[in-house]
Amino acid sequence: MYSIWAVATNTIKQALRMKIAVVFIILLVVMLPVMGLTTTGDGTLKGRLQTFVSYGLSLTSFLLCLLTIIVSIYSLTSDIDQRQIYTVLTKPIRRYQLLLGKLLGVTLLNVVLLILFLAIIYTLTIYTPQITCANEAQRVQADNEFFTARVDLRPTRADVTGEVLTSYKKLHASGQLNEMFKGMSRKEIIAQLTYQKKLQMRAAAVGRDLLWEFHNVRPIDPNGSLFIRFKYDVSGLGLSAVPIHGRWFVGDWQYIRYGVQGETPIYDHVWSHSTRTFHEIGFSAAVVPKDGHLAVGFLNVPMNNTVVIFSEDPKVLYKADTFTANFIRAALLILFRLVFLACLGILAATFLSFPVAILLSIVVFFTASFSSFFIESFDFLGKDLSNIYRYTVRPIILLMPQFEKFNPTKFLVTAQYLSWFSLSKVGIWLVCIKAVLLLLLGLLIFSFREIAKIII
Amino acid sequence: MEYAVETFSLTKIFSDWWGRDRVRAVDGLNLKVRYNEVFGLLGPNGSGKTTTLKMLLGLLYPTKGRAVVLGGDGADPKINARIGFLPEESYLYRYLNARETLDFYGRLFGLAAKVRKMRIEALLDMVGLKAVANRPVGTYSKGMARRIGLAQALINDPDLLVLDEPTTGLDPIGTRQIKDLILELAKRGKTVLLCSHLLADAEDVCDRIAILYGGKIQTEGKVKELLQQTHKTQITADAISDTAVEKIKQIIQQEQAKCDISSPMDKLEAFFIKTVSSAEHQAQPTGGAVSTTHISSFLVPELSTGDILDKLVSTPVSSAPASSYRLPPRLPTRGGAAGKTGAGETSEPADRRPVEKPDEEMLSKLTKPPLLLSQESTGAQTKTVVNPVRYEKTSNGVKDESHPSEGRDEQSGTKPVVPQEQDNSSGCSPAQPEKDILDQLTKDENADSEQIDKSEAGDSRDV
Repeated sequence: MYSIWAVATNTIKQALRMKIAVVFIILLVVMLPVMGLTTTGDGTLKGRLQTFVSYGLSLTSFLLCLLTIIVSIYSLTSDIDQRQIYTVLTKPIRRYQLLLGKLLGVTLLNVVLLILFLAIIYTLTIYTPQITCANEAQRVQADNEFFTARVDLRPTRADVTGEVLTSYKKLHASGQLNEMFKGMSRKEIIAQLTYQKKLQMRAAAVGRDLLWEFHNVRPIDPNGSLFIRFKYDVSGLGLSAVPIHGRWFVGDWQYIRYGVQGETPIYDHVWSHSTRTFHEIGFSAAVVPKDGHLAVGFLNVPMNNTVVIFSEDPKVLYKADTFTANFIRAALLILFRLVFLACLGILAATFLSFPVAILLSIVVFFTASFSSFFIESFDFLGKDLSNIYRYTVRPIILLMPQFEKFNPTKFLVTAQYLSWFSLSKVGIWLVCIKAVLLLLLGLLIFSFREIAKIII
Repeated sequence: MEYAVETFSLTKIFSDWWGRDRVRAVDGLNLKVRYNEVFGLLGPNGSGKTTTLKMLLGLLYPTKGRAVVLGGDGADPKINARIGFLPEESYLYRYLNARETLDFYGRLFGLAAKVRKMRIEALLDMVGLKAVANRPVGTYSKGMARRIGLAQALINDPDLLVLDEPTTGLDPIGTRQIKDLILELAKRGKTVLLCSHLLADAEDVCDRIAILYGGKIQTEGKVKELLQQTHKTQITADAISDTAVEKIKQIIQQEQAKCDISSPMDKLEAFFIKTVSSAEHQAQPTGGAVSTTHISSFLVPELSTGDILDKLVSTPVSSAPASSYRLPPRLPTRGGAAGKTGAGETSEPADRRPVEKPDEEMLSKLTKPPLLLSQESTGAQTKTVVNPVRYEKTSNGVKDESHPSEGRDEQSGTKPVVPQEQDNSSGCSPAQPEKDILDQLTKDENADSEQIDKSEAGDSRDV
């Protein structure tokens, strides 16, 4: 253990004294406050906060990721290139201890730097409302929609597969199938039908209503607020945004569905919102019934005179935790990435030279950052060679971490609650499985490698 | 466990990317290094010396064969804990300073903080880097880096010291110190395996040598047995009158042998050290407080004696023939420093010139052992009297019986220190302060704990 610790402290000293880390530290220490004081966003306090947190966190995360890759790779490859490893490995240290020491050193450095930079971001964020001349309404908005951690609950949806299959059979029997879906396979037709069915369920004709049900609505503060987040779309009115009037009901599902009077009050209000952007309606948490089974209804008011389509199902949002706690969890999310990248860097350094290892790691890093784009594009390209693709490229892509799926910025900007559960799920996948696998592979390669052999 | 290092037909073949054999660096090597022995692995460049050491330490894997180091595997941490290794160059972390470097290596051994601190200070003192211990190692000169490399190898008080070219980049005094150190360590029961192509250095310290060529051992044996000219006699005496010389000549002629009589020559190394130490003495009042010990203080005069250093370091092999002229150790008085210096000055140009040529000859002889052996055997058989002066000029590796540095007795394990410092160093004896430090460093457990007790007594008594 003492040897691991000796290597770890040496790695930290190296990163600091070789001025690799110093460059990044200075960059961030200067840029973060400047960004914090100059960003304006869309003019509102909330917009300003969102912009700063979004850019600040992304920049910190990006630079620390690069730093991790560089330090973890440089630390090992320079030892091998400059042959300090000859004197180290002939001391009573096992090779895995050397690698673990490097990993520990990089991780400790990351933890310290992450705490430093996130503390800067956090402090600036918390004090931004006080240094700006925002009015009271903006502050309330910022408190409700930014300085919080809200769960976003999706409605429970009825299973449509049965209906889709019935309509497929009907079409098949009536012989309309070939006419409507020319040259498509059964699977594709089913997918098409399902999509249509779901769209139907989100569309309200004039004077008609839509109903969504939410289970397990449990706001921590019964006197606080609940929010509905939604986006309107309308058919056939071009690209310009138009105002849509909607009457919203929120309350006990039994009342809204069957008119049975419950104990809790019912929210009922008509609002006008434009299409094509997300909007939020806030109301008191008092409407939530004890069993947590909430219903949200929307009535397409006749004066709209058009079919209203929701581009996706509305979500119910409510405060589940504080901003600070969410911020800490977001920080851990970044740390998981960094640990993964450190393991990746160490693996690459065990068998590659510095520039090649850097290249490999950066390719993986960017692939992970834009993973869904890669998966989609490869899925599309690989359609023709389905089997070869499925068993070769696809597993590799899926093995890559998907950083964007759990992007800390996304959670903080929308004040979305990041639960410990989903955090630990990410942690287990990214750190305990993927990173450990990489590290084990690295240890395996390194312990069999001839250290003094020069490979040209 | 008879041997500290033993290899069984150790072979290393470097192959290219396609797996074809390219270089047979080490070929069926059977090396046996006894405990408490200074063993020299000699050979020209690319003869497989370093490859062998790396295989012993697990940095390279043998293609065939096996190596046993201290009764185990050289890559095993338990064995490593008892080995000190100095690679062919001092590969150090440039951003650490000397103290931190030693601290890092000490921590790899898991040495307790107090033991570590004590050893680091003693080692820095010994290698003469205490004054610059807070400078990053990256700013050191090659010789200084070599010193810290050596200190690094000694941090754990190793039983086996593996030194790869220990004296490269060092000035003559540093070289000398390392040689003295090796002898001192051997005295204290350590085993030293060194590889070098600086033959003079190897000759001075090694008990046994093996000469490698093409990855194979060409010759192996005790230095004394390999180099002794049994067909010659050397007598060294105080300066005597011409009549006495004539008498001796007559006696020798009666024996039907040729002889050559001249004043013995100082070894260039000894001469250099003498010069530098006297310069050091003169410079001391103005030099300010550098360090009180001899070892660390000489770094200052090292800078001022650049031209002498250039002369000496560029012809390292030439110190070998000079050794034949060395003064015997027990000579009580001589013609004084001035007289010796005069002798050195007058004879130097004449001696140095022919030395240039025999270098190659000698090397070829060393790498072709049959030639060397046949030459020796023919000499012994025919009893031909060779003119000593000419012979000494052409074969550098030759020594005679009265040569003091080889008079080491293997059985008793005691080795007289190479004599020059006793009679040549005027008022400054290099071995003396070093011994104190060595005592600190190479003491067994009790001694170490004694040290700790002393240091602990000051700050904490409840331990």
